[in-house]
Amino acid sequence: MNLLKYPDLLDQLAAAHALGTLRGGARRRFEGMARENPGIRSRAVLWQETFAAFTEIQPAMLPNPQVWQRIENLLPPTRRPAAQPSAGPVDMLQSLRRALGLWRGAALAGGLAAAVAVVVGVRLDQQLGQRDAALAQAQQEGQQLTAQLAAQTRIEYVAVLQDDKQAGSVLVTFDPAKRALTLKRVGDYREGEDKSLELWALPPGQAPKSLGLMGQGAVARLTAAEGEVAPSPILAITLEPKGGAPAGGGPTGPIVFKGALLKTEI
Amino acid sequence: MDLMVRIAAQDGASAAALKELYGLTSARMYGLALRVTGNREWAEDALQEAYLNIWRIAGDYRAGISPPMAWMGVIVRSRSLDFLRRRNSERVDAAVELDDYLQDTISGDVDDPLAMADASQQATALRQCLSRLDVKQREVVSLAYLRDLSHSELAGQLSLPLGTVKTWIRRGLTQLRDCMERFAA
Repeated sequence: MNLLKYPDLLDQLAAAHALGTLRGGARRRFEGMARENPGIRSRAVLWQETFAAFTEIQPAMLPNPQVWQRIENLLPPTRRPAAQPSAGPVDMLQSLRRALGLWRGAALAGGLAAAVAVVVGVRLDQQLGQRDAALAQAQQEGQQLTAQLAAQTRIEYVAVLQDDKQAGSVLVTFDPAKRALTLKRVGDYREGEDKSLELWALPPGQAPKSLGLMGQGAVARLTAAEGEVAPSPILAITLEPKGGAPAGGGPTGPIVFKGALLKTEI
Repeated sequence: MDLMVRIAAQDGASAAALKELYGLTSARMYGLALRVTGNREWAEDALQEAYLNIWRIAGDYRAGISPPMAWMGVIVRSRSLDFLRRRNSERVDAAVELDDYLQDTISGDVDDPLAMADASQQATALRQCLSRLDVKQREVVSLAYLRDLSHSELAGQLSLPLGTVKTWIRRGLTQLRDCMERFAA
């Protein structure tokens, strides 16, 4: 049977095929005819284009902000520095529009149907091929992702706090998962018996926040939430009266050590 | 598209580019994932995997071949279907009354010309033509595509007689065809 002689039936089949409700043997027969006949293929392709737009017209909903956090945490580290300064969101919107304009032009040409059916068919074949490649890759990457999750990267923060003579220092590490903040003295600095060293987070635009006292030992272990530590680009240690600065206030003594807080993946 | 190129570069600026893309597109993509999976948690998981996937395959994106939202839509729908299939196979009773489903989804389905400003011409035409269908026909046709369901699967999931589903789809497709032809002309 030459389907082209029955345009209504052809359209019904092509639409059901693109919608996905044409199944089994009927689907395979239709695909066989579409492969051999450009006229049939063009109808199939036009309906596929039409229904692909279903993905574009669903009502928008804001996802939970935690989704982005999870994505960011799972991104593998990039080693190369940025090739160029990043463009702003305005550039992005413009390029989106440009890309869409290009697409609209192509789609209008496609609307001329039969006359350009072969061209459209080729273009769509490319698009479908690309989809297949992307989907195949997606499968593979799903497995990679599972493997990555199994060997999940841990985030740690480190800071080397130094004095202004670079003579002594304090090594700070912070494991947000365990809320463990560890301080190690390196060098000879010893505060007086009547003094305490106090660690401070310095979040931008806010008052310093006390993270705790060091004690006299070589190693001090403190507990802190990620939100208390991570937003500060810099940590500092001040020399305070024994027992630390009065609660709720800022530091009262001079800064003895300070340094940048760095996020690392281990 | 600049942003895809910057993501594909996989350098120090790529994460910021992905964040920008996410900011511009995640609401639409989440809406799609939610419609496919019908479940917030799965939709969020699918969204997460889809953007991680976009991170890896941004280099394959060709602006001249498909509009960015359609390209991402394919990935998001595919991830969402994965979740739906995986989870449905674990669930004993996946059936939802169509009326319940409509109550969940129809409230957000308002005409929003601004939101459609970036949509392709096909999307504009499909949206207008769908809006002329009876609301139940529209949902059955949309679900058939979005969830990749057969007539009998639709009948099962929506607790409708098989004959009703077939009739609605057939009529829906005929009406859509007549309407889309007017757009193309």
